[in-house]
Amino acid sequence: MILQITLLVGLVLFSVLAILAKDLIKSAICLAVSSLLLGVVFFRLGAPYAGVFEISVVAGLITVLFILTIALTKAEGDVRESKLARIAFPLFFVVFALIDALVMKGLLEKIPLLEAAPEAGSFSDVLWRERTFDLVGQLAVILAGVFAVLALFRKRDNHD
Amino acid sequence: MIFLYIALPLAVAAVLPLLGKASKKVLPDLLGNATLAILLFVALSGVKNFWGGFGNPIVERLGWFGETVNLQVTLDGFSQFMLLTVQLVSLAVGLFSVSYMDHYGSKANYYALLLVMVAGMNGLLLSADLFNVYIFLEVAAVASYALVAYGLEHDELEASFKYLMLSVVASAAILIAIAVLFGMTGGLSFAAVAEGLRSLPAKGVTAICAALFLMGFGLKAALVPFHAWLPDAHPSAPAPISAILSGLLIKVSGVYALARIFFNVFGLTPALSQVLLWLGAISVVVAAFLALGQKDMKRMLAYSSVSQVGYVILGVGLGTPLGIAGGLFHLLNHALAKGLLFLTSGSVQQATGTRNLDEMGGLAKRMPVTAGASLVGSLSIAGVPPLGGFWSKLLIIVALVQAGEGALAVIAVLASVLTLWYYLILQRKAFFGQLHERWRAVREAPFWMAAATVVLALLVIGVGILFSAVLKAWVAPAADVLTKGF
Repeated sequence: MILQITLLVGLVLFSVLAILAKDLIKSAICLAVSSLLLGVVFFRLGAPYAGVFEISVVAGLITVLFILTIALTKAEGDVRESKLARIAFPLFFVVFALIDALVMKGLLEKIPLLEAAPEAGSFSDVLWRERTFDLVGQLAVILAGVFAVLALFRKRDNHD
Repeated sequence: MIFLYIALPLAVAAVLPLLGKASKKVLPDLLGNATLAILLFVALSGVKNFWGGFGNPIVERLGWFGETVNLQVTLDGFSQFMLLTVQLVSLAVGLFSVSYMDHYGSKANYYALLLVMVAGMNGLLLSADLFNVYIFLEVAAVASYALVAYGLEHDELEASFKYLMLSVVASAAILIAIAVLFGMTGGLSFAAVAEGLRSLPAKGVTAICAALFLMGFGLKAALVPFHAWLPDAHPSAPAPISAILSGLLIKVSGVYALARIFFNVFGLTPALSQVLLWLGAISVVVAAFLALGQKDMKRMLAYSSVSQVGYVILGVGLGTPLGIAGGLFHLLNHALAKGLLFLTSGSVQQATGTRNLDEMGGLAKRMPVTAGASLVGSLSIAGVPPLGGFWSKLLIIVALVQAGEGALAVIAVLASVLTLWYYLILQRKAFFGQLHERWRAVREAPFWMAAATVVLALLVIGVGILFSAVLKAWVAPAADVLTKGF
């Protein structure tokens, strides 16, 4: 229980740091640490596939991509942002934590416990046989992302 | 056959950027519009399945080389109605883009994004599963962020970023609600969740999920007070994209998804109905006043979209068969007319280089086709008989009176007068009056742009004149699905 709470507190802490850090590299690393912790939480809750994906893709691959991009494009490390954002976020966070503390426990008690069968069948079975339509959608999201990058980083020679 | 709605645009989109290397303009134009035309044909041929309002949903299951996989699309009267609307406006937008998008460059990429967005909307309309809805919502949204920023100017990038940020909040709210529902019921398909919710004594949690959905889809539909992103995003996008965003996307990923989940999964309760009615009424009034003060033509149209979506919600939220039919009919009328108006605003902007209404004037003398089409669209949305907008607003108002919501009916009538007022301002400032010296050399829009607007204008007139046939063949089957509930 104490380990679980430590993990969750760490997760929140590093997520907040990722948003508040001024240096992009630090921000990316904080994000990686928080998703590493989330991966561990997934493992402990009996969802090994989610844990593996969280750690390998989000904590690993995406962090590498972030750091590569920052290293390649970086002219100046600090991000300038309006003061409002720096005030708004902590405020939002405190409000969220308050609501969470007041409501969430009562809410969770009301949710009936389903039989614990989180990983019915192998991962590929679930993805391929149960959620095939999602795969089509995910393919489309990837296509949309690729075209978006192509469109937004195209040469503007034709545009007046 | 039904799966074609998703597979065909995705497949063509995937090869377009490669083919675009060989032919920069002709091939993308041809392939993009041919795809949209085929989809329209498929949608038209599907109308007969639900003719007259009765017909069970068609479920199509696909295998993968003999292997059973869960690739399932569901088509019922409501999806059919929306699909046909989507394909109609998309094809008009595609044709308009042939001339309009020339000076933006990289046409293959543009059509690819457009097709992915259409595929995303179609996928959402054919899903019968909460998580599928979320994924296809994102498909359409990701494509639309890029399309809003397509001009790559400062304003466009800023608008796109604002749109992205608010849209992410909406997606997060929707995803949380889906996760909680999945945790409670153990299922994701509409039927399983509806079944699960009926047997659960968890009204409080269900209400919170409903509130999250309302916020998420309300943001996507740009209902007041969730509308802040729309007046930036829609005017900044290239005109055909504004047309598709205002005409279709806010309705598919906002109104359709909201109605589908509230009617077919939760079941519309009186409390929920009241919330929807007041959200709708506030949107109608607030956005109409905001539209009055606008000088930017496209911004005025964008505020008008918020206001008109309010009418749709007002009708649908009422929950009576007549109210739902009126709301959905208004959705169709607004999709056609607002698509038309944004396209004509694109023609004007391309001809004059400005969107400021104060700088225009007398353009009808130089651009008679565009001016005529724009007038038809304006009058339809303003609710002037015999155009479509008149009949749908009439149905909504009659339904409100029948249901004993007299106050809301009065609000709807008064706001309709406001609508007429700001559309008359738009028409007078842009197209009527003295021709400004600056615009002597202005010429009518190129062929494809004019053709697309004329087609839409004819449709607006046709739907108005043949409204009872349209209601019966097209709207009634959709309204039936919602009336039936879950």
